[in-house]
Amino acid sequence: MNADFNQLKALVLKEYREAFRDKRALMVALMMAFMAPIMIMVMSKIMIEKLIDEPPVYVKFTGAEYAPKLVQHLADNNLLDFTDVPEEDRATWDKRNIAIEIPEDYVENMAQGKPIKLHLQADFTDKAVKPPVRRINSAVREFSLSIGYKRLLLRGVDIRLLNPVKLVEQDTAKPDATFMLISMLLGVYLMLAAFMSGLSVAIDSSAGERERNVLEMLLCQPVSTLKIVLAKLISASTIGFIGVVLVLVLTSLSVGFVDLTKIGATFSLDMSTAIFLMLLLLPICLLASACQLFVAFQTKSFKEAQSTVGMLIGIPAFIPFVVSMMDDRPEWLDWLPISGQSMIIESVFKGVEVNWLAVGATSSVTIALTVALVLGLAKKLKSEKVIMALS
Amino acid sequence: MIEVNNLHKSFIDKKDKKNTVKALDGLSFTAKDGEITGILGPNGAGKTTCLRTLYGLLSADEGFATIDGISVTEDPLAARSKLGIFPDKFGLYERLTAYEQIDYFASLHGMTGKAKKEAIDQVIQDLELGDLAHRKTVGFSQGQRMKVTLAQSLVHQPQNFVLDEPTRGLDVMSTRILRNHLAKFKAKGHCILFSSHVMQEVAALCDRVIIVANGKLAAQGTPQELCDLAGETHLEEAFVKLIGSDEGVAA
Repeated sequence: MNADFNQLKALVLKEYREAFRDKRALMVALMMAFMAPIMIMVMSKIMIEKLIDEPPVYVKFTGAEYAPKLVQHLADNNLLDFTDVPEEDRATWDKRNIAIEIPEDYVENMAQGKPIKLHLQADFTDKAVKPPVRRINSAVREFSLSIGYKRLLLRGVDIRLLNPVKLVEQDTAKPDATFMLISMLLGVYLMLAAFMSGLSVAIDSSAGERERNVLEMLLCQPVSTLKIVLAKLISASTIGFIGVVLVLVLTSLSVGFVDLTKIGATFSLDMSTAIFLMLLLLPICLLASACQLFVAFQTKSFKEAQSTVGMLIGIPAFIPFVVSMMDDRPEWLDWLPISGQSMIIESVFKGVEVNWLAVGATSSVTIALTVALVLGLAKKLKSEKVIMALS
Repeated sequence: MIEVNNLHKSFIDKKDKKNTVKALDGLSFTAKDGEITGILGPNGAGKTTCLRTLYGLLSADEGFATIDGISVTEDPLAARSKLGIFPDKFGLYERLTAYEQIDYFASLHGMTGKAKKEAIDQVIQDLELGDLAHRKTVGFSQGQRMKVTLAQSLVHQPQNFVLDEPTRGLDVMSTRILRNHLAKFKAKGHCILFSSHVMQEVAALCDRVIIVANGKLAAQGTPQELCDLAGETHLEEAFVKLIGSDEGVAA
């Protein structure tokens, strides 16, 4: 037993040495992990900007000269004159054709305290026009109210009398959707990291070793093929697991730089959640490496291994997306590898109670599948077909 | 001791039955302890297939091979542990140093601790690998690669030692080191099986020579006996004559 362990230790040590010394492959492998948080950060930043910021709106004024103060107030709200539109946006705003007409008698009526009619013209059914129109509406009302307040103030009336009831709006719908998107992205990324990070190591230690003529020598040694496969599995899945840990750590760090509270969302990855996710994804790392090794050993060349195994990566990216789109999820999806985990990740991020039975089931199925692949591969490595492919 | 008895092996092309290659056709020979046995044969004679069967990588259709009495098909791991192999095609783990590489193979043969370290130091000293030991093997010359491969197959002091064309690419000094090493092993009572295409080397080194042609034993004996059998003075002439004629089969 001890001798077996020593052999396995030597095998694993050698695989680790090779994997960690191949700096370029390691960098490519972990690139995914480094990219993920950056992408998530950039995406959420863009989304927040979209939700918070008021992009400039260009309005075609007629009679702007009659009401300079009003035009100034609109400009303060980023509602600008069409004559100032930058060249590249001219066509767009010309097409949207939002026009405000200020009447000639503006000054006169203002001085006399008579109502003034401004005309706003636009295609109200156009989706792109709706937010600008809404903003113009509120800006004009604000302007109008501020003048009205001043008039009342001058007459010694408390302006608070005008607002007995005040509605405070808190928009929860949109921030929530944004947050959902971030967590969904993170879920997909975690799956991809688990599948991708170990990829280059898995191919290099299988098809690569065969191509470098070292596999035959290894198969001639007094070592069982099961141990050889196990060592390669341990090494490749370790890299995969490092990828997952990196994604989690870097994401929780980088999300700190994005002010999600601006849109009323919070995203925190506390220690216990992170550890739970790592444990949940560990079997996935093992399964991924087992699949990759299994496929790579059957291919004829390193190149073929790369392209064939590359196709395997599509699966983990595809499944969580499909699952998240599905409305009626059949129960067996809970049990399957990848889909099971991705649903559990989803409920973790949603803050829904985790279905522990599903966690156990999907983890067991994943591990069982891994064991089957490892045993199958160990058997295959003894076959003559593999030996003949050596030369 | 290595014994090969009546080995048959065919490679069947599933699509085209006519394309079947009969690589081994009843090959038998014995390589005794304390002797260097040379195995000669033209390309495609079945040498590599025979050796792969010996390593337990291929299983023979008929016949058996034993190493120190252990059948390679029944207990391949035990048989391999008695074997040191210098393969036909060899590669190195280019990201490991020579020392780590030798250490790896020593560990695979179950060596540990102080005994392992001493064995590695010994083999590095014997093969004069000291300067290279702690360098990564990427960029090693052909001769240096050979030496590292030799070191990793010798580190566990195998009772039986199989070399598939070990001297190709070696310079004169390295060839001499190898020869001396093999002679030392022989003196200690190890069994050495040695395949080569260099006739002078076989003539100089081998106690017995086995000539294989078409998957069969064509002739065997000491180099001198083979020359006498063919009626030639040089082994090369004798070899050409023996693989080309059926008379050799009778011997």
